[in-house]
Amino acid sequence: MQILKHKTNFDFIGKRKPALFISTLLNLAIIVGIAAVGFNFGVDFAGGTVVELKYDTPTTAEQVRERAQAGGLHDVSVQGVGAAEENSFLLRMGGVTQLTEENAEHAKAAIQGLGETRNVYADMANGIVNFRSVKPMSVEAVKKAVEGAGIGVQEVRDLGANQGGTGYDYQVVASGMADKVFAALSAGLDKPNFEQRRVDYVGPQVGKQLRNRGVMALVYSMVAILIYVAFRFDFKFGPGALLAMLHDVIMVAGYYLVSRREFNLTSIAALLTIVGYSVNDTIVIYDRIREDMAKYKGKPLPEVINIAVNDTLGRTILTSGVTALSLIGLLIFGVGEIFDFAMAMLVGILVGTYSSVYIASPVVIWLDERAHSREGHSGTKHEAKAA
Amino acid sequence: MDRGWWWKFGMIVAVTLGTFWFLVPTYYSLVVLDRSERNNIAVLEQRLPKWAPPARYRLNLGLDLQGGIHMVMRVDTKTALQKRTERRGQQIATYVNDKKLGEVTADTDPERLQLTLTAKDPATMDAIQKEVLATFTDFSLDSRNGGTLVLKPDEGQVNRFRDEAVDQAMLVIRRRIDKWGVAEVDVRKLGTDSIQISLPGRSNPEQAKELVGTTAQLEFRMVDDTNPQVFAQMFQQHPPPADSKITLVDDEGFPQLSSPNREALLAYAKDKTPEGRDVVTQCVANPVKKNDCLSYRSYLLDKNVPLTGESLSGADASVSQMNEPEVNLAFDPAGAREFEKLTEAAVGRRMAIVLDDNVHTAPRINEKIGGGRARITMGRAGARSFEEWLGEAQTLALVLKAGALPAPVTVGEIRQVGATLGDELIKKGSLAALVGLALVVVFMAVYYRKSGLIADVALLLNGLLILAGLAFFNATLTLPGIAGFVLTLGIAVDANVLINERIREELSHGKSARAAVDQGYDRAFWTIFDAHVTTLIAGFILFFTGTGPVRGFATTLIVGLLASLFTSIVVTRVITTYFVHGRNAQSVSV
Repeated sequence: MQILKHKTNFDFIGKRKPALFISTLLNLAIIVGIAAVGFNFGVDFAGGTVVELKYDTPTTAEQVRERAQAGGLHDVSVQGVGAAEENSFLLRMGGVTQLTEENAEHAKAAIQGLGETRNVYADMANGIVNFRSVKPMSVEAVKKAVEGAGIGVQEVRDLGANQGGTGYDYQVVASGMADKVFAALSAGLDKPNFEQRRVDYVGPQVGKQLRNRGVMALVYSMVAILIYVAFRFDFKFGPGALLAMLHDVIMVAGYYLVSRREFNLTSIAALLTIVGYSVNDTIVIYDRIREDMAKYKGKPLPEVINIAVNDTLGRTILTSGVTALSLIGLLIFGVGEIFDFAMAMLVGILVGTYSSVYIASPVVIWLDERAHSREGHSGTKHEAKAA
Repeated sequence: MDRGWWWKFGMIVAVTLGTFWFLVPTYYSLVVLDRSERNNIAVLEQRLPKWAPPARYRLNLGLDLQGGIHMVMRVDTKTALQKRTERRGQQIATYVNDKKLGEVTADTDPERLQLTLTAKDPATMDAIQKEVLATFTDFSLDSRNGGTLVLKPDEGQVNRFRDEAVDQAMLVIRRRIDKWGVAEVDVRKLGTDSIQISLPGRSNPEQAKELVGTTAQLEFRMVDDTNPQVFAQMFQQHPPPADSKITLVDDEGFPQLSSPNREALLAYAKDKTPEGRDVVTQCVANPVKKNDCLSYRSYLLDKNVPLTGESLSGADASVSQMNEPEVNLAFDPAGAREFEKLTEAAVGRRMAIVLDDNVHTAPRINEKIGGGRARITMGRAGARSFEEWLGEAQTLALVLKAGALPAPVTVGEIRQVGATLGDELIKKGSLAALVGLALVVVFMAVYYRKSGLIADVALLLNGLLILAGLAFFNATLTLPGIAGFVLTLGIAVDANVLINERIREELSHGKSARAAVDQGYDRAFWTIFDAHVTTLIAGFILFFTGTGPVRGFATTLIVGLLASLFTSIVVTRVITTYFVHGRNAQSVSV
């Protein structure tokens, strides 16, 4: 069987200018969109708490929301997971501990009511209230006072006397949000009528770290690939591969931007896979261009590239098709993250195939032309360079 | 068929058989064993046939696939450093005042961890500066402004202190989890100040957080040696139930109860403990498996806790002039007074050092110890080597510091997956992978006919190789890992497509079957190589910079690409060569 019966001779390169124009426009639009609207960051990067619950009895998202609100959880988003008869819900909250801005004030007041204190300072990121008391305090009393103000306390830490002899240091560690969810939803029941299937809890500090590391991974791999391509091929091939990669990454980021699907660690993995796939595809075409450059000495580069792209067209379509085929299972049976991953990959495969032809190759031509015109000015013969 | 071909063929057969052999422990742990035993290496080891590879070479399932808790604890090294700087500042001030160089007060800047010394009489500052910088070498001069001197802590010292704080926290966390009795826990350092903990099969994140997140509690308590036979009498008067495994052992004239089960031991001793005393256990470390308790021994301690870790200002391991490892302790002024009083009254008795309800050691007090500095001599007795004793001293110093200098830990991240969700994800994930694989296999066979079938054989071998490779590296298969698996198969197919398209091209140029196959493979080789290497680069960077799911994905990708290079370049070529050269075929079926 064969997809393309005859040797094709499409003029890909001739249409490079409008293609480049549209791609650049799209890319810019996505970058502006990311800057203006931003991703729908998942708990991995934004920090926060996600709880997945499965109810034993038929329940609607509205009922879960009402119950949560009655229990004092106001900024919770409730979303159904899977089919309605599964009775599974995803609850998202911004905070990771019960120490909110408002709560922190209550906690401070409660602590100050116990005796003379100094340096009362709430560390929201870690859910800790630090304070220095003039007199030693009982850990139990502090715990009781803060809990009395309506904040769950995991632990009160006695850090001992301050060395300068100016007081005694304590830390109050607030308990987690998931605790409160569990308490709020099972309030008034003998036994909770749901199962806690998953809890994701990421502190904002860690979230920032995870995000930075993800972006760094992306940058590092691009640079490493650029170096490899520059060595294995020719310098003029490097920037094209890099731009094609960037183009693909931005386009897939665009998928997350437009679809409003959650952007998390798995999304970073998807972007990185796209980098791999994009360069994989570009390399195959570059390889052919290099081979054909040797074969058709004397022909102008745009023509050679066109031949190379046409020669590999069958393989390009086939490979993209087969890789897309292997994603079908994930698209059908994948849940949540995995579905998004597969979808992002699909977008990546399509744009990756496109960019190898319309971004990577034209940049090579452009760099080649620039080199020529410069040498042309310095008086070198034109033909000598075409080879 | 030349000799080279037979060699290659033999290698492929060996690799294939090796792959199946290597997957035996994985097969047993996932299919043969009951789910509750899945993480139990000892059980797996017993059930495995004799010829199978060791049980540790099995494919682990990530917590997202089997249920459990993954958490990242952040060690609040900043608070600890702040405390330390404050303490050092006080020491410097005392030193300067004692030496009569002048009178200074010390202040700590908690943000920048700087120390500011302010002299009462600015004129004395020159002498103070000289003396302080010469004596307290862990600080260097930042700036000087008349009568105020700003010192900054030495970078290396700060880093060492930070590392130590994380090590201490890890030690405490490990011991607590051991007490909880979770099989196959994984506690490891993550970055500079975080600790990653995996608890397979656990489902209560709040409980885990409480267990791991509370500050270590160090106590100095007196051992009740007034009646050394107390446990022996207990044992004789109320023999423990036969199945409790509680035995009586002699430890240098102090009989102790011993049991592999801590709870059983405590329950047995509970109502037999004399008034005003507590039975506290000691972990007897397993010499084979690190961080595991072989058994627990009983100690009878005074209920009263005269001294806690908060009075301790430092602990270090060193080697004495007698060439014996020892641990040096330093107390703060109030602690020093208390310690002196305590040791004076208790010469000849033993003092237990208790961390988190575990007796770490119980040295005998030889004399009254004043001045706030004490020494615990480890001796060199017994069958242990000098290095082992020194290691013991270092651990003890770490334990003491863990209780003394609280570097609080806070929860950075918790991910908990229920067991039923994990099962569901395994089912859906493997179904997705199988459907993807089946579609590709069918397509290749239809599109390339015989060559497609050869590619399919390579593809299946590729899949098995990935699983065996993951088992070999003791990697963990995660949900994104399954996605990576599918993607790698796609890339492997690309290699075969490249080769087959090349062969078709060569055939269309009128080449003979043999020449077309040889040239097709030769020409496609570098393309495949470049394409794989570039993706591998991305995979490695992902592995080294990524965490959690990203890392799981990267591992699968790397193993998959290596397997794909082998199957697409070597395996398919050897098979194709057999049909084309060996059978002397005049045509190729592509």
